[in-house]
Amino acid sequence: MSDRALGVLLLGFAGLGPDQDHQQDMYLPAFGSHPGFEVVGVADTPAGASSSTGHRLAAKLGVPAAASWRDGLTDPAVDVVSVCVEPGLRVEAVTAALRAGKHVLVDKPLALTAAECREVGAVAAETGLVCLPAHHQRFHPMIGSALAAVAGGRVGLPWNVQADFLVAGGTPSEAGELANLGVYPIDVVLALTGQRVRQVHARITRHWHDGPADDLALLFLTHDHGVTSTVSVGRMRALADTRPAGLAVHRYRISGSHGVLDVDAARPAVAVRRAEATGATWHGASTVGRLLDVLHAAVTAGRSSSPGPADALHVAEIVDAARASAASGVPVELPDSEEGSR
Amino acid sequence: MARHSVIAGGTAGQPSLGVVIVGAGFIADHHGAALRTSDRAHLAGIVDVDAGRAATAGRTAGGVPWTTDLAEALARPDVDAAIVCTPNVTHEAIALQVAAAGKHLLVEKPLSVDVPSARRVIHAFEQAGTTVMAAHTHRFYDYARAVADAIGGGAVGTPVFARLALLGGWIWPDWRAWVVDPGVSGGHALHNGVHLLDLVTWWIGAEPVSVYARGRKQTAAELGIHDYLEMTIDYDNGASAVCEMSRGHRPASLDRRDVLVVGTDGILQLPTDGWGSTVVTESGTALLHPQASDGFAVQLGAWLDAIDGGADAAMTPADALRAVALGVAAERSIERGEPVSVAEVLGGVPA
Ligand SMILES: NC(=O)c1ccc[n+]([C@@H]2O[C@H](COP(=O)([O-])OP(=O)(O)OC[C@H]3O[C@@H](n4cnc5c(N)ncnc54)[C@H](O)[C@@H]3O)[C@@H](O)[C@H]2O)c1
Repeated sequence: MSDRALGVLLLGFAGLGPDQDHQQDMYLPAFGSHPGFEVVGVADTPAGASSSTGHRLAAKLGVPAAASWRDGLTDPAVDVVSVCVEPGLRVEAVTAALRAGKHVLVDKPLALTAAECREVGAVAAETGLVCLPAHHQRFHPMIGSALAAVAGGRVGLPWNVQADFLVAGGTPSEAGELANLGVYPIDVVLALTGQRVRQVHARITRHWHDGPADDLALLFLTHDHGVTSTVSVGRMRALADTRPAGLAVHRYRISGSHGVLDVDAARPAVAVRRAEATGATWHGASTVGRLLDVLHAAVTAGRSSSPGPADALHVAEIVDAARASAASGVPVELPDSEEGSR
Repeated sequence: MARHSVIAGGTAGQPSLGVVIVGAGFIADHHGAALRTSDRAHLAGIVDVDAGRAATAGRTAGGVPWTTDLAEALARPDVDAAIVCTPNVTHEAIALQVAAAGKHLLVEKPLSVDVPSARRVIHAFEQAGTTVMAAHTHRFYDYARAVADAIGGGAVGTPVFARLALLGGWIWPDWRAWVVDPGVSGGHALHNGVHLLDLVTWWIGAEPVSVYARGRKQTAAELGIHDYLEMTIDYDNGASAVCEMSRGHRPASLDRRDVLVVGTDGILQLPTDGWGSTVVTESGTALLHPQASDGFAVQLGAWLDAIDGGADAAMTPADALRAVALGVAAERSIERGEPVSVAEVLGGVPA
């Protein structure tokens, strides 16, 4: 691959919430400021097209709007497809992009069930193309250094992780916050320990929002080598000191045979205190910017990315098991790893 | 007006309560120190099955009478009450003896090591008409009261999720120590776990429904107890709490308290990295803890209030029974690998 910027097709502007548009809120700005990428086209699903978001954006960016999303995938200028289509079409869109010979960045969750993730993983493996699920929280600077510290043995053999991932405010997801947000802390715990989960116990509840969707989940995971972890994840009401849909609590404690590592992902930060509110700011690439570094490196090197579809699959297996456990009230064993088949 | 001392204490003509300490070990010293600061109660005697320990404790306290015979101490008319600081499995028999003697009791946690036994103790004091309180000391520490005050004042609305972790390294003696013998301590959930199970339940202010616990023998695979415990309580109002009690963390000097309470209206949190000052000296960096009230003295005051029968007791017998039930549920849950209902442990009999 040459030094030229990779051509990006923005496909879809939907998410798990009614007003969720990670394509425009997260990925477009990150692609725009990344020297390795250039947005070359916009496409949308039939459902999305009716809102004409794609057409307006294409006009604004001065790039073509594909007549259909399948047309967009045939454009030779496109190297990478950024997929943010509605969850029901995600598997179809991702596999079509891969089969059209394009690398894919997929908004989280990659798919809503483990079975769907498996399907995507199989096509990615078959085509040998990059399929990067947007598990971008593991690229947070505090978490990045923690991953290296744990992998480097700084706390000895890790035996427990406690994680809290609580968003304050923003629009709740109709699919529930376990489906919407769960992937972030689960992915970080898996990346920290490197240990697959064997058993899941969970409690899934709703405290802040109307309707049937859950907004607080507690997951009790048992990993290989007897490592245990506990994850709280959810969306609470808005707080004065947290930007809407920002993280009110985001932390990990890793206990090891020889030490303890406390990671507060609210840091690093310059604290800013004002009459109206208190906040924090920091300089440097965002977690999504770092995710794009990984995408670029994988595409240009011609190798698969980490995280990859297998990581998304394992997260989906854990989420599926959590639902089963919450329904039955008892821990659920995960099916044996399919490591061998990949 | 002349200033003078009143022999054996007492305020405003009220006689000071004579208290005998039973079990002159580690924690007895804290109760002795609390008694020394009180003008409502005083140390009247020491009982220990080990004559040497009893004698030393009596001498250290300035010549307080000591004995190895509890009955003898309880028969003394100047003894009104006992503070029991013996290994957990001995609490019931000693408590029943104190009740039979018609004296008041502050018993170290846990009240007892199983539910039927805790019930027998409570029943005996009901019959005797004297006061029994279990020493859940954390309820009387500044941090715990600050959290309770804030929640009580509506700071976070209704609590829906709480985390409480007391993490530390190995502080116990060797294999011969009773604390590592589950037959004597009841297991770590009953021994230390009850502190957290009680405190978080007090904070949340709802009835616990079930406990899911995971235990780990971190310091040595051969341990009979779990030196690391993670205990999750589900409450009848939909709230949950995750409690971690550890003596298995490294470095052993780790002394960590973590509190997070998430409520319908907000979040309350104590800083995990401590709230003291930092002292950096030639020998390294250390934390300088802020001045705080002596939890044991505050607890003693609350017990004396309960004896006086004034306001609601700060820690009722029902609270103590519930703490035992939660501890038993945690131990059972670890054994079974799934949640255990509190109703099962309580045997369907109302507290
Ligand atoms: N509230 C707290 O924070 C806290 C902290 C530590 C211990 N404790 C509790 O205090 C109690 C004592 O713990 P410890 O660490 O002081 O133990 P310890 O082993 O230091 O002391 C126990 C003492 O009791 C004596 N003893 C044993 N059986 C006796 C009996 N039948 N009659 C009279 N004396 C007897 C022993 O000889 C020993 O001197 C336990 O119930 C423990 O759970 C509470």
